[in-house]
Amino acid sequence: MTFDFILYLAINTIVVLATAPLFISLIKKVKAWTQGRQGPSVFQTYYTIVKLLKKEVIYAHPSSRIMRFTPLVNMAAILVAALFVPLVFVPEPVGGIGNIILFLYLLALAKFFMALAGLDAGSSFGGMGSSREMSISAIIEPTTIIVFAALAFVFKTLNIFDMFAFSAANGTVTTPILILTGISLFIILIVETSRIPVDNPETHLELTMIHEGMILEQSGRNLALMELSAAIKLTLLMALLVNLIMPFGLATTLTLAGLLIATVFFILKGVVLSGIIGLFESSMTKMRFFQLPSLFAMAFFFSTLIIIIEVFA
Amino acid sequence: MYTELFLLAVTILTAGFFIPVVLCNRDLRIVRTLALSCTILSSVILGLVSVVILLGGDPIAFTASQPFAEFSLSFVIDRLAAFFLLIIAAVSACVALYATEYYEHLGGGSRRNLLTGCTNLFILAMVLVVASANTISFFFFWELMAASSFILVMYEYDNPETRKAGIFYFIMTQLSTLFVLFGILALAVQTGSFSLAAAGSPATPLIIVAFLSLFIGFSIKGGIIPFHKWLPYAHPASPSPVSALMSGVMLKIAVYGLVRFLMDVFSPDLWWGITILLFGSLSAVLGVIYALKEHDLKGMLAYSSIENIGIIFMGIGLYVIFSVTGFSVYATLSLLGALFHSLNHALFKSLLFLSAGSVVHATHTRDIEHMGGLARRMPWTSALFFTGSVAIAALPPLNGFASEILIYIAIFSSITEVDSLLKVLLLVCLALFALTSALSAACFVKAFGSVFLALPRSAESAGATEVSRAMLAGPGILALACIFLGLCAYQLFLLAGFSVPLPDMFLVGFLLLVMATLIAIFLYLFASRAERTSETWGCGTHFQQASAEYTGHGFSEPLDIIFSSIYRTRIKNERVFFDKKNCIFKEGTAEIRLMKVFEEYLYLPLARFGLRLSTIISRFQNGCLDTYLLYVFVTVILVFLFLGWF
Repeated sequence: MTFDFILYLAINTIVVLATAPLFISLIKKVKAWTQGRQGPSVFQTYYTIVKLLKKEVIYAHPSSRIMRFTPLVNMAAILVAALFVPLVFVPEPVGGIGNIILFLYLLALAKFFMALAGLDAGSSFGGMGSSREMSISAIIEPTTIIVFAALAFVFKTLNIFDMFAFSAANGTVTTPILILTGISLFIILIVETSRIPVDNPETHLELTMIHEGMILEQSGRNLALMELSAAIKLTLLMALLVNLIMPFGLATTLTLAGLLIATVFFILKGVVLSGIIGLFESSMTKMRFFQLPSLFAMAFFFSTLIIIIEVFA
Repeated sequence: MYTELFLLAVTILTAGFFIPVVLCNRDLRIVRTLALSCTILSSVILGLVSVVILLGGDPIAFTASQPFAEFSLSFVIDRLAAFFLLIIAAVSACVALYATEYYEHLGGGSRRNLLTGCTNLFILAMVLVVASANTISFFFFWELMAASSFILVMYEYDNPETRKAGIFYFIMTQLSTLFVLFGILALAVQTGSFSLAAAGSPATPLIIVAFLSLFIGFSIKGGIIPFHKWLPYAHPASPSPVSALMSGVMLKIAVYGLVRFLMDVFSPDLWWGITILLFGSLSAVLGVIYALKEHDLKGMLAYSSIENIGIIFMGIGLYVIFSVTGFSVYATLSLLGALFHSLNHALFKSLLFLSAGSVVHATHTRDIEHMGGLARRMPWTSALFFTGSVAIAALPPLNGFASEILIYIAIFSSITEVDSLLKVLLLVCLALFALTSALSAACFVKAFGSVFLALPRSAESAGATEVSRAMLAGPGILALACIFLGLCAYQLFLLAGFSVPLPDMFLVGFLLLVMATLIAIFLYLFASRAERTSETWGCGTHFQQASAEYTGHGFSEPLDIIFSSIYRTRIKNERVFFDKKNCIFKEGTAEIRLMKVFEEYLYLPLARFGLRLSTIISRFQNGCLDTYLLYVFVTVILVFLFLGWF
């Protein structure tokens, strides 16, 4: 492990922690605008997290150690997963860090703990949330893995670092693959981060909530960790999308100027994508739960198409 | 030196069988403890021997007896056999430790001596199957393994459910033996010897027949769908240590048989690999889908074993495909994945069966809907079951992930190179594999959540207490092994001489720890430390009721509906009304029944066909002497005619 790599670990973690709440707030802002509202400030998520850190934690009577450990494990798993997706600077991969399958399974680890915590308090909302979350994540999984296989196929590597380095060096890949990868990754992003039409992050209605249902019993600093980790997960998947499709600005050598430019570019790209996500969410309604498999089938179709194009091109 | 050690271990195991069964069959705890100590001791010796051979020691080979020139009981332990010996040794030691306490809680008096003795006989049979150097001794100990495990399954024979399970198991396991025998005989006819040596290529029809019957024999033993039905019957019926041994180890012996024959005897064709891969994928996906629906805790674990054997078969299928098409790197990778997953599954499945046994012991039920809230009442058992769940759900940094990622990497990297049609096949299998692993995560969230979390759903569950130390120590060692194998997977492969493109899980585990520590320090410094225990948010209900909780059924309902075409649920709704216009309801019945697809469409028709055939044949046996004389007379005439004609 070189000095550069350790520096990368620090830089990446700081950038993701700093920018993640911004993108979440931006999406909310865009959605508010399309509804004709002013909406909360773009810094609202930062304020919320700081406020939550100051509040006391309330545990439910029946809850066990799972409830106590979940926020910590969840956050740790997401932060380690964050090391797998270079946001601004791509170093040489070390010891399998950046492996795309491991990245996926680290997200699954976080989800596993979150779903158990949803069941822990014995509330029916929590149970409903984790049941739906695990069902959705199970049926989206084949699509996700095929998309990742398509990426591995196009870039001839399993490592996210190498993929980013390749696209940073060679510019974007050819158009049809670009479009199809973009669509598939976008659908995965929507599903994995519980957005409309799969889930509605804004409501606490029994019929619609999935992710919010699972974390309903969380409070205080634990809730702050859960909210922040959800924001980071969104940022990671956004970074995966933008850095593969629009790699310009991504630094491959460690210079201060390069890092600053990369950070500015990353935030700009993130802002654009947040806007797109916000508009997409505003233009959709939440789907009925059992209609979701057909949406997933569409993503599956696009990702299989990429591979077929590659195979027979 | 190592040969003597191996013989010593075998002798100790034999003693472990004779002491409680023959020498002293009185109902004494000390006898059983002594016999189980024999198991632990010989497992430790076997473990040592196998580790030495695995790390590059010389293989052991010797002949025990040779009554005829062609027939001999001879043994050889090479690296492959040593690996499977390690699996047997590791699981047996922990199971025996657990059983010292668990067997004492069973009813049955001195019958427990027989149980203890047969456990040792069963382990001995498995050790000798793996060590066999020719097909004759392989077959002999294979049958011994089947017979001794049948006695173990039938332990609670006074229970009708157990009797049914036992008979089912007996028939299936004898079918397996029959197919294995047939395969071995076909091989012997082809090659003229009973040795485990190359049968030559290209494959003649007889070799193909031999392969197919051996494959079916091993699939029945391993629980590959559609030959899987005995698992969900036999596992819940048998005592938990026996389930742990059968699921953890015996299924792996089937895997060993397949790998041994594929590597040493056959020179496979491409379609063999595709067949194994397809059966493996089918078992993996269907196994986990059925596991989701199962509410018997041990039945659920049995279905999950089917899933994992499916994954192992996928690895073996990939190995055959890649080695036939000339990608030896990926072939090694998939074989290592399959073998490593065998070890991992042995560890975490026996861990899960043992801790499930503790739960069943504490709550006196196997139905997960009557459990709940055990995490606070049985903290250690819940921690053990939790470790097993994380491992089996293939989550990093535990061992289940380390072996599944090997198979993922093999598929991901080969997909760019193999030819187009194989690409399509690999993609399909990849998608199914991903689905399997995500569904098994859902399945174990459901299992752990319903058994250990929230409020207890029955009085027994509310009054459950933690089990004693021996019943924690056995699975405890297994849990530590799961964590160790997960974290050090990469280093262990290097030590064994394989450089695999596995991510360094130790680094990942270390990073997880660092991040968790940093977050904890941050929270300690900057966040409020106040905490309070209060009621669960319940939308204004007066008090929280266990009956209002999400149940296991409820949890899997969305997946039930999505996969309803696979489950084939039959919903019957009959109503009788007082009036003609069907307004005033009188009475009615409603029923939701899960169809047992394989049982109704495959097993029962076959059984009915067999029954019909035997009815026809039994007509000849009417018990009347005149008829039999007639048969003799007709036969004699026919013989005369036959001789006259030719």
